[in-house]
Amino acid sequence: MTLQVCIMPPDRIFWNDQADEIILPTNTGQMGVLTNHAPLITALDIGVTLIRSNSNWNPVALMGGFALVKQNQVTILVNEAESAQTIGVDEAEIAFQEAKTKLEQSQGEKQRVEATFVFKRARARYQVVKQLGV
Amino acid sequence: MSLRRAGLALLRQQGAPLVESLSATTQQAQGAVREAVEGCSRGVSTLAVKQRMKSVGNIQKITKAMKMVAASKMRSATAATENSRGIVQPFLRMLGDMPDTQGAKAVFVPVTSDKGLCGGINSTVCKYTRATVKAVRDGAAAADSGEAAPEMMLVVMGEKGRAQLQRDMRDNIYGTVADTNKVKITFPEASAIAEELLKTEYDTARILYNRFVSAINQKPTIATVLSPDALERAAAEGGAMDSYELEGPDRPEMLMDLAEFQLAATLYNSMMENNCSEQSSRMSAMENSTKNAGEMLGKLTLTYNRTRQASITTELIEIISGATALAG
Repeated sequence: MTLQVCIMPPDRIFWNDQADEIILPTNTGQMGVLTNHAPLITALDIGVTLIRSNSNWNPVALMGGFALVKQNQVTILVNEAESAQTIGVDEAEIAFQEAKTKLEQSQGEKQRVEATFVFKRARARYQVVKQLGV
Repeated sequence: MSLRRAGLALLRQQGAPLVESLSATTQQAQGAVREAVEGCSRGVSTLAVKQRMKSVGNIQKITKAMKMVAASKMRSATAATENSRGIVQPFLRMLGDMPDTQGAKAVFVPVTSDKGLCGGINSTVCKYTRATVKAVRDGAAAADSGEAAPEMMLVVMGEKGRAQLQRDMRDNIYGTVADTNKVKITFPEASAIAEELLKTEYDTARILYNRFVSAINQKPTIATVLSPDALERAAAEGGAMDSYELEGPDRPEMLMDLAEFQLAATLYNSMMENNCSEQSSRMSAMENSTKNAGEMLGKLTLTYNRTRQASITTELIEIISGATALAG
């Protein structure tokens, strides 16, 4: 028995494959889903989800959305999704450092909120490449 | 032309006395020739037909070009449209479709095009909008006779819908969204429009659009999206939502996010589908136009040739009769 994982940004089907385990970045922290999990709806924060097939972990950056789990079918609806193939290592690292400094320097509520958003996205993308590289 | 000139010169040569002795037929012929030379009346009928042919030919070229443009746009839009359906299906599976939900405030979003010459799809959507508004109003009146009638608001997407609906539903129109197709339709764009829609604090939102079934088939469709409160109510009454556990401490907030996301996803899908339907409808409308123009051109060509041959024959008859009269 395996999970059927389906990751869907609005404009295409990003991922539709079998998996053994999936770790979701929810609003309240990391959450693992194995087979025969109870039906579940959860909101996802901007972060990295890890999908395991046998003993291979695949990281995918998700930019916020929802996850629905029912009868070993995991449906992930997100605003955007990126996998390691489409992220350049150096570019991700530079973007991450830039976003970090911007966040530390931001002043005012509006700036801080926007900077946090950009930082989270850059961090998610950076984590994806770092995981694969290491 | 030269025959006519020669005949005329011959007539002039004979001089005035001979004119008096000519028979009635030749006098007629002489008058006709003079009239033709002075007024060029026989050339006028072919000129009118020729101008008509030119304009119809131009129309045919333009409609043919428009058809090809629409066909290519449709081809690229089809793939994107089918992909956008993927994000709406899970919501339908999970939350179900409850088109007869009642509420205090009902918002209708007819999705139409900005440009014309696209067949009957905009009229269809407007017709369905009027019918749905009436149905919801009647349904509410039948259900709760005590409560006030639900407030109906229209948020029209597309210039064509606005033009048609403002004739009889002007008071209900809350706003219009135009020029959505100028750049590619994207999910952030749909999210921004959804954000504006949420400000109306609706109970039920009904999006009316043309679903793209195939290149020759576009089906008018209504997608119903409930507000978070209405969703909570419907979920409490039992339904697919109940079987799910909701992770996280903030259930109402998550339901609100879920409803917003559903609205944005449904709106995005309906905009994509309507865009694809618009292109395919325009393609078939332009195809018909080109075919009709071609037929008209054929008929005009026959008329032109007939007129041309008739005028030549008449000229020849006159000249020959004139010449024969002079000779004999």
